[in-house]
Amino acid sequence: MNITGFLQSIESSGIAAWLRGSLYAFPLIESLHVIGLTMVFGTAAIIDLRLLGLASARRPFAALASETIRWTWGAFALTATTGALMFSTNALAYYQNLQFRFKMSLLVLAGINVLIFTLTAGRSVDRWNADEAAPLAGKLAAVFSLLIWIGVIFLGRWVGFTKVIDLTPDIDILINLDRF
Amino acid sequence: MLDFAHWLAQTRISLAIQTRLWVIPTVQSVHIVAIGIVMSSVFMMDLRVFGWAATDQTMRQMTRRFAPWLWGALCVLFVTGALMVVGEPVRELLSLSFWLKMSLIVVGAATAAGFQMTLGRNDGDWEHSSANRRTTKCLAMVTFLVWCGIVILGRLIAYDHVWGRWSLAPIT
Repeated sequence: MNITGFLQSIESSGIAAWLRGSLYAFPLIESLHVIGLTMVFGTAAIIDLRLLGLASARRPFAALASETIRWTWGAFALTATTGALMFSTNALAYYQNLQFRFKMSLLVLAGINVLIFTLTAGRSVDRWNADEAAPLAGKLAAVFSLLIWIGVIFLGRWVGFTKVIDLTPDIDILINLDRF
Repeated sequence: MLDFAHWLAQTRISLAIQTRLWVIPTVQSVHIVAIGIVMSSVFMMDLRVFGWAATDQTMRQMTRRFAPWLWGALCVLFVTGALMVVGEPVRELLSLSFWLKMSLIVVGAATAAGFQMTLGRNDGDWEHSSANRRTTKCLAMVTFLVWCGIVILGRLIAYDHVWGRWSLAPIT
């Protein structure tokens, strides 16, 4: 099955059809998506600011990070689930949407950033745990994390304002996801 | 209200926002970033109340760490929110979700200020009696739920039809 067929089968699934048909489901799922993503950004920012030595600098990094990051992951799970549900309602159009693709690419970069941090500064946490700021690798990871998540938020909002044009000739499916 | 919204929509600043298509998405994105700061600040202080994080910190230290971010972000939210109202007056002012949201914000901000003042004044007192602990935990939980409600109502401005016949949105 090619990608178009796959996306179309997602769109025609029962849950996607139900989401499209319900008056309340999509707005509520979108609201949960916003709650989740604001918590992902905010809790990640707390860790990033600690790495940079700009906030909570007197608390040991490892303790602060471990008690905060579990909530980041929890919020990420909520955001990803609700995001997948929203995607299912119009899979093909989202897939073809440029801003959506940029957003997904940034999410991949966020993952790579975490991986690099774990392999570099993360390995030597014991040495700088109590320091006011992390070594350079840690600070760089923090700056990238902040920029990436702010970028994800901007692109996500932009997706809602783009007119998603279906490739079917002559028929422009204009979904203005934000305000119909 | 409809007349006022129409008048506002004709003002020069509103027209300036309306004709620059990038303004609203940008302002909304900044608004969401600031919501992230508010939600997480409230959440971290609540986690401390529940004893689920930062147990090495006193409530006063937690307040000193997060309250400036909370109030700073609320200022950003006020400015970006006002820009959205000026840019799209009919959409905002004629939506039930908007007015419910404004009411909840008053509750949310008042609770946050009350929390900050009582816990700042008698640091630690609330932890010594179990009744105080329980009340504080309840209040902390309610505060977070109020902020969640504010976020949900904010998103529902775009979908005022969910309120059915209570919706204030003009029929187009």
